Amino acid sequence: MTASALLVGLIIVPLAGAVLTPVVGGRDGARACGWATLVMVVTSGIAAALVVHVAQVGPFSAYLGGWEPPYGIELRFDEFSASVAIICLLGLLAVVFSLRYAAHELPPVRIGTYYTLLLLNLTGMLGFVVTGDVFNLFVFMEILSLSGYALVAISGERTAEMAAFKYLVMGAVSSLLVLFAIGLLYALTGSLNMADISARLSGAAEAPAMLALALLTTGLMVKAALFPLHVWLPDAHAIAPSPVSALLSGLVVKTGLLGLIRVYQIYYGAKVLDLSALNTVLVWLGAISIVMGAFFAIFQEDIKMMLAYSTISNIGYIVMGLGLASQYGMIGATVHIFNHALIKATLFLGAGAIIYRTGYRNLTDLRGVGRSMPFTTAAISVGAISIVGMPPTAGFLCKWYIALGAVQAGHPVFGVALVFGALFIFVYYIRMVNSFYFQQPVHPEILEVKEAPLSMLVPILILAALCLVMGLLGRIPLSFIEPAVTRLLGTVGG
Amino acid sequence: MVRSVVPPLAFLLPMIGAAGVIPLTAKAPRLRKIALAMICLLEIAVAVSFIPGVLSGTEYETHLVQLTPKIWMYLHVDAMGALFGLTASVLWLLALVYSFGYMEGEHRLTRYYVFFMLALSWTMGVAYAGNLLTFLIFYEMFSILTYPLIVHEETPEAMAAGTKYIIYILIGGSLVLLAIVFTFFLAGEQTLAAQGGLLAISMGKGKLTAVFWCFVVGFGVKAALVPLHGWVPDAHPAAPAPFSAVLSGVMVAAGSFGIMRVVFNVFGVALLRELDVMRWLTYIAAFTVVFAALLAVSQDNLKRRLAYSTISQMGYVALGVGLLGQEAVTGALVHIANHAFMKGALFLCAGLLIKRAGIHRVSEIDGLAQKMPITAAAFLVATLAMIGTPPLSGFVSKWFLGLGMLDVGQPAYLAVLLGGALLAAVYLMPIVYAAYFRPPSAAVLAIPERKGAEAPASMLGPLVAAVLITVLLGIASSLPGMPLSLARLAAAIAFK
Repeated sequence: MTASALLVGLIIVPLAGAVLTPVVGGRDGARACGWATLVMVVTSGIAAALVVHVAQVGPFSAYLGGWEPPYGIELRFDEFSASVAIICLLGLLAVVFSLRYAAHELPPVRIGTYYTLLLLNLTGMLGFVVTGDVFNLFVFMEILSLSGYALVAISGERTAEMAAFKYLVMGAVSSLLVLFAIGLLYALTGSLNMADISARLSGAAEAPAMLALALLTTGLMVKAALFPLHVWLPDAHAIAPSPVSALLSGLVVKTGLLGLIRVYQIYYGAKVLDLSALNTVLVWLGAISIVMGAFFAIFQEDIKMMLAYSTISNIGYIVMGLGLASQYGMIGATVHIFNHALIKATLFLGAGAIIYRTGYRNLTDLRGVGRSMPFTTAAISVGAISIVGMPPTAGFLCKWYIALGAVQAGHPVFGVALVFGALFIFVYYIRMVNSFYFQQPVHPEILEVKEAPLSMLVPILILAALCLVMGLLGRIPLSFIEPAVTRLLGTVGG
Repeated sequence: MVRSVVPPLAFLLPMIGAAGVIPLTAKAPRLRKIALAMICLLEIAVAVSFIPGVLSGTEYETHLVQLTPKIWMYLHVDAMGALFGLTASVLWLLALVYSFGYMEGEHRLTRYYVFFMLALSWTMGVAYAGNLLTFLIFYEMFSILTYPLIVHEETPEAMAAGTKYIIYILIGGSLVLLAIVFTFFLAGEQTLAAQGGLLAISMGKGKLTAVFWCFVVGFGVKAALVPLHGWVPDAHPAAPAPFSAVLSGVMVAAGSFGIMRVVFNVFGVALLRELDVMRWLTYIAAFTVVFAALLAVSQDNLKRRLAYSTISQMGYVALGVGLLGQEAVTGALVHIANHAFMKGALFLCAGLLIKRAGIHRVSEIDGLAQKMPITAAAFLVATLAMIGTPPLSGFVSKWFLGLGMLDVGQPAYLAVLLGGALLAAVYLMPIVYAAYFRPPSAAVLAIPERKGAEAPASMLGPLVAAVLITVLLGIASSLPGMPLSLARLAAAIAFK
């Protein structure tokens, strides 16, 4: 099979899988889960083949129906698109994890819907990162956002509906901004294809190009939950079912960042504007996000709420790295998109398993759970060490590269902010670890609960192992992404 | 430089041990003890195996995995590392065997032994790390993951001490990380084996000075330089005694070891002379020696008094480094090894007092020698060594430090050296006096009778061994293969 057929398959398979889930699964949750697992296994296989292909030959495209751009639809697979690998991996693990979780948490009639939405959400993300034109970017963004709103609300509890509504309002505004910007770009260049826009934008008027840039960035940063556009995130991520939280926190917010990289590709290539002002804003907002996310997290009692705020900090890291616009910073940021997804999924799935077994979600109530669920809490501890950036775990690479990037860009002060921001983050993870292991249980029955079932434990342990391994094997993602970053920054001569 | 597969064993062996503890927990506590002791013995064998080679000028290296496109995880055994590795592995064996007795009947033993072995693993990694990033990896790991050992008892005091420890250590670690980032940016990745340091004056005096202080303050937290020492007096009393022994003997010294790596392998002597920053380090170190010793005098909690003594003694090490003289550096290096065993012995005594007699306070020690003669005798010998009485090990390090001070033409520091020793007598000798010459206190009279020796052999054995090593390091210090020979070699390399 050719690479372009695979690329089309990457979207068609999960999309068709999503549509067929109610047919195959019917009212049987386990069967629906089995089907979704099968779909994700096939999709993961396709994604793996595509990543290997891009590593060998570099970026490539698929033209739907053989129509070449600017007329036809282009799917473009470059090194940044390799994030399909992590989307598929997490998608697969979240689906497996859901087998017991969904059966326990959701009303039975909604379980089929749940898997459909999950697959749709994954389809949206896969499409988002491989599409070559801005309109489809918007379409896929809507697919993943709408399915995301529904997934947050799916438990049907009142708080869930409120959180989903808040998420929907913010999300709708951001979509509107993005759509308007796309309209502007079309008006300016007469094209929707990214490469084409980039080429034609160089002669365009500055003011509307800048407006489009501002709208795109703002819209995408709402999706990414960069401070101060983060207000929707904590509730939505904390209240959603845990596998969904893992996907939302690990992946969905990252689409905003991957979208930002696409915007960079368009604008850096076009050389129509000097982006340094935008970058300065982003670096500062990134730094503030790191500190504010950590600051709010310290006061949380709810374990998932804490993890949700920690996502805001980590988005701050990545945005800072992108905004530094130096080689090291950008590589670090891109790799952290990948690594943070792993780490945050470990943490959310682990928290989910604990909530599933104990029924508690507050740190005080969870005291002593380390004795009864040793593997799950060990995995969470690995995730915690990793997210604060202890060497040699996966989270360290980002700290190392972005701090180097800050020095390289001539702003070592941001390196300092980054490193000391991580200290704040450690403070609340140490609270969590203390409550798991070193404090006397408030509820004695917590010592009696069983370790998580295998369908939950295996995904958690796989992810925790990856948190360690990806740190030791950091060379692989780093050298994989390097040419793409060099190309991107090469166009600005940075 | 010889490629070798042995260095990774130094940190892999204890990891295997730690993994092995878990299945052996409940079923075979005896087998667990034997297995762990065997691993520590093997560990010593690994550490010793490097010494003949290192002394004859061979250094060993291993490339492990490539962390980033430019940096390997890389181990490299040189004289300085071999000295630290040897000290750590021997002290760990003593503390481990002591734990068998001390921790009997305590809670969460699996957790204790797992992290105890992991801490050994990461300490050995620090000793043999061949580049800055590898050093950082092991240093951070052992700093953070010794937290479970410090809070082991889970009392409110232990938790508070743990929190204090972790905050101090994290801030220190962050500074070290920043310094390493800067160094990498300025110099690119080079191994620590590079002669005369990685940096050069052409990189800018201001930047270099900033990097230097980032390093020194970062490592200074661990090395307990005043005023960065706040965690030490709390963490030591909170931790179980065998871990206090390694905490004082090796872990705090790891900070001093880090400073030495920075001074000799990152900056190099010539560059530091040009930057003229070292005299500030000597001021801080001299202040640390005297200030901590003064504070030690007024502590009633024995382990807290010993903790202040550690701060003071580590001040000697920093002082020796700061003087930038070959003899002084020899003294500083050998003092790391000597201090490990004499302070180890003192903490093991303190542990026996807690376990056998329930004594935590200096004021309860009166008349101890009548009931626990071996413990009292061990305390006496370790105290004499700490003060620097010839021919014990403490004398050897002070001799070289003193020579070094004269050598670099700074005899004024002799006052600090002697003042520190005098104060050590002031804060330790009264304990000895009380133990031997005062009528027994209520606490001592209440010590339960025990058949045979005054305490289980697993506790007395390591204590006696630590004392014997202290004596040996004094009277046999000039034999080849002893820490002094390694320290001399390391200092000679640094000043070549």
